[in-house]
Amino acid sequence: MLLLKLVNICYDYPNTCGLDQLSLDIHAGEFVCLMGPNGSGKSTLLRILSGLASPTTGDYQFDGQAITATYLADAQRRQQLHQRIGMVFQNTDVQLFNTSVAEEIAFGPRQLGLASAVIEQRVTDCLELTDCQDLRDRIPYQLSGGEKKRVALASVLALNPEVLLLDEPLNGLTIAAQQQMLTLLQRLQASGKTIIMASHNYQQVQAVAERFIIFNSTHQIDADLARADLNQQPDRQAQLMTL
Amino acid sequence: MHIPDNYLSPATCGTLIAAMAPIWTVAGIKVKAQIKRHHETLPMLGIAASLAFLIMMFNLPIPGGTTAHAVGGTLLAVLIGPWAACLALTVTLLLQALLFGDGGILAFGANALNMAVIMPFVGYACYRLGQKLHHEKLGLAIGAYVGINTAALVAGIELGLQPLLAHTASGAPLYCPYGLNVAVPAMLTAHLLIAGWVEVAFTLLVFQFVKKVAPTNLYQVPARTNQRPWIALLLGLAALSPLGLLASNTAWGEWDATELKQRLVQQHVSTSAPRGMVHGFHFQALFSNYDIAGLPISMGYILSALTAVLIFLLLIRGLQHETNTINH
Amino acid sequence: MKPTPSTTNLPEWLSNPTTSPSRPSKVNFWQRNQRHLRGLLNHLAQPTPIVTDQRWHITPQIKLIRLLALVILIALINNVVLLWGLALLLGSQLLWLPPQQLRQFMSHWLVSIGIAAIFVLPSYWLAGPATLGFFIFKTSLMLANAQYYRFTTSVQDLLTGLKALHCPDIFIMTLAIALTYLRMLGQHLLLTMEALELRTVAPTKHPYRLIGALFGNLYLKSYTYALELYAAMEARGFNGHYSRGIASSNHWRDYLALSPALVAWMLFIFWGR
Repeated sequence: MLLLKLVNICYDYPNTCGLDQLSLDIHAGEFVCLMGPNGSGKSTLLRILSGLASPTTGDYQFDGQAITATYLADAQRRQQLHQRIGMVFQNTDVQLFNTSVAEEIAFGPRQLGLASAVIEQRVTDCLELTDCQDLRDRIPYQLSGGEKKRVALASVLALNPEVLLLDEPLNGLTIAAQQQMLTLLQRLQASGKTIIMASHNYQQVQAVAERFIIFNSTHQIDADLARADLNQQPDRQAQLMTL
Repeated sequence: MHIPDNYLSPATCGTLIAAMAPIWTVAGIKVKAQIKRHHETLPMLGIAASLAFLIMMFNLPIPGGTTAHAVGGTLLAVLIGPWAACLALTVTLLLQALLFGDGGILAFGANALNMAVIMPFVGYACYRLGQKLHHEKLGLAIGAYVGINTAALVAGIELGLQPLLAHTASGAPLYCPYGLNVAVPAMLTAHLLIAGWVEVAFTLLVFQFVKKVAPTNLYQVPARTNQRPWIALLLGLAALSPLGLLASNTAWGEWDATELKQRLVQQHVSTSAPRGMVHGFHFQALFSNYDIAGLPISMGYILSALTAVLIFLLLIRGLQHETNTINH
Repeated sequence: MKPTPSTTNLPEWLSNPTTSPSRPSKVNFWQRNQRHLRGLLNHLAQPTPIVTDQRWHITPQIKLIRLLALVILIALINNVVLLWGLALLLGSQLLWLPPQQLRQFMSHWLVSIGIAAIFVLPSYWLAGPATLGFFIFKTSLMLANAQYYRFTTSVQDLLTGLKALHCPDIFIMTLAIALTYLRMLGQHLLLTMEALELRTVAPTKHPYRLIGALFGNLYLKSYTYALELYAAMEARGFNGHYSRGIASSNHWRDYLALSPALVAWMLFIFWGR
């Protein structure tokens, strides 16, 4: 099922270009990795997909619905979109604002009007999935960078989004935690979630992502390859290693 | 609460800047001592100034669909200490006046007195009192409310005095046209009813969050305080107070209190029949009346400003010597 | 090692779609704040290009003195002819602004006059049209001078000017830090609001609690910045003195630039009354 469709998207920052003529189809259940040098447009694309930014020109459709600035101006529609598309920020400091990890995770489900037992169940499940059980009563502000990443993912998962956007989710994690996070993402994908993550570390994501969208420094898509195809191109792989 | 330019007479502005000079000096000395204990206070002054800027531009919802904004004077005093808050807020106000056109350039002294001195210190005093009585949060809430309202009251008085201090021979005000009977109630009503409560809610919630999440990041009161800067502040203010009179003397010094009252009445009587209506709009005649200010007031202003600067410099000089001997 | 996917122990609620409740939303003040903040950040990232006329380049400190001299003078003068002269002086200076900037100047200026005038308009019934007209004339003249200064002076120039006028080092450093971190803290605040919005899937009942958390976090972030900045300052051999290159010493052009203000002062002192 075609879930996300981008046609000729351009995005301009006040004095630079963010994205240039980008077209892209993403189907439900895909595991996509956005790769490219810093400032090539990966984060900008994630912001557009999440509905935080509207493209300067071009069309963005989510599940058949055109997501335009006018569509997003309606608070209720925007909130529904946010429920279906979750995002973990690159700088997770900005994402954690509650006074305990359990509160942080319960923040989203609580707004959905769920019963407290259901919320409690979700919190426990999310803590377990992200291996954060021992952080339950800690204060998010005092956690280490890697712990914050995991808690941020848990708090987004608690809303049960269909699409998960992750901006450099592996930064600051130990090798073991990276493996754990990737395994979790694969499990989520297997249960039907669409995963779109930005990364510039090819080695880490090589084995898990199924599709690689490679940006060049002029904010355009350089290549859009399935894993099997990319494995046939050692030159490109070598180039990705040096990002 | 930012007073724009031309609402206060230059004499008032000069007096208030002169009054601020010793306060800034003492704040500088106090903050230097604070920096010795916590080095990060030095960059924190600037960062807190930008924090205050963001607080003042953030719209908070109030019932009824409109918005208000907090000032954050009391909050900053509790977070980084009252003296550091005084300096940080001063920088914020200067930035707003010079680069963003918020608040007047000449009225900078008045705005600094209201928002960078009265508000943080009144608020902080209430907070400390509450802390001593083991009702910290209550003290803070009262401090935030009383702090912003005291600042509003003083701003109202500053504005309301203008028709008395500066007017034409016929009583038409030269600067802020509203007397005390209008300016003070207007300022106080807005702050007592709305802005004060917004400030309380904002201050309490941020304080509660920081207290819970990182209690060590709150300002810790030093164990033993050096009383000398306080004495210096009092002496400085005492030395400068006659200057305030000097600066405004030329305008109203010849009246005593009862005459002043008569003036006020007369002014409001004249309002019922504005000259413009009685004599028709005759351009030349109208404006020739405004020529009351001239050589004496400007020279007095310059002289008093120069004297204030000199006293201020002498004060710094004296204090520098003292602090050096303490250090060695 | 290749991780092996399995769905066996994924909780059931994660595998089924969640429907969000549809409740009517009220006016969203978060959106408004985000818009304001984006405006500020854009302004800081891309300030209005500063007009620098190479032939008439004057030092920053003289610009600052000229601004103060003119504003004080306008506040003091009650003589219409002199004020008129000052207005003409400023008007002729505006002629040198590029058309695009002149339009911007005018719109900013008119808005600021409007704001200043709102509070004074009721005094029409108190003091009559002459007083009101005179007040608004003087206020707009002062605002125009301040606005002209903002349009022709960069932040760096302001700092250099203050330094040249022997402003205390600690004060200039604080001002410089405040300007730099206004952008960084603003960016942080904006991102936090966006992150908050992404997880807001229904209208919030108690926005104030979130605001407390928002600014509490912002304060803690500023504290972290302060620690980092001090460490960086120390690492670069900071000795408590903030030095900044002072522009070339005063030039005859500087005095020429000040001369209209000085002439106006002379006129005011000897003839203005």
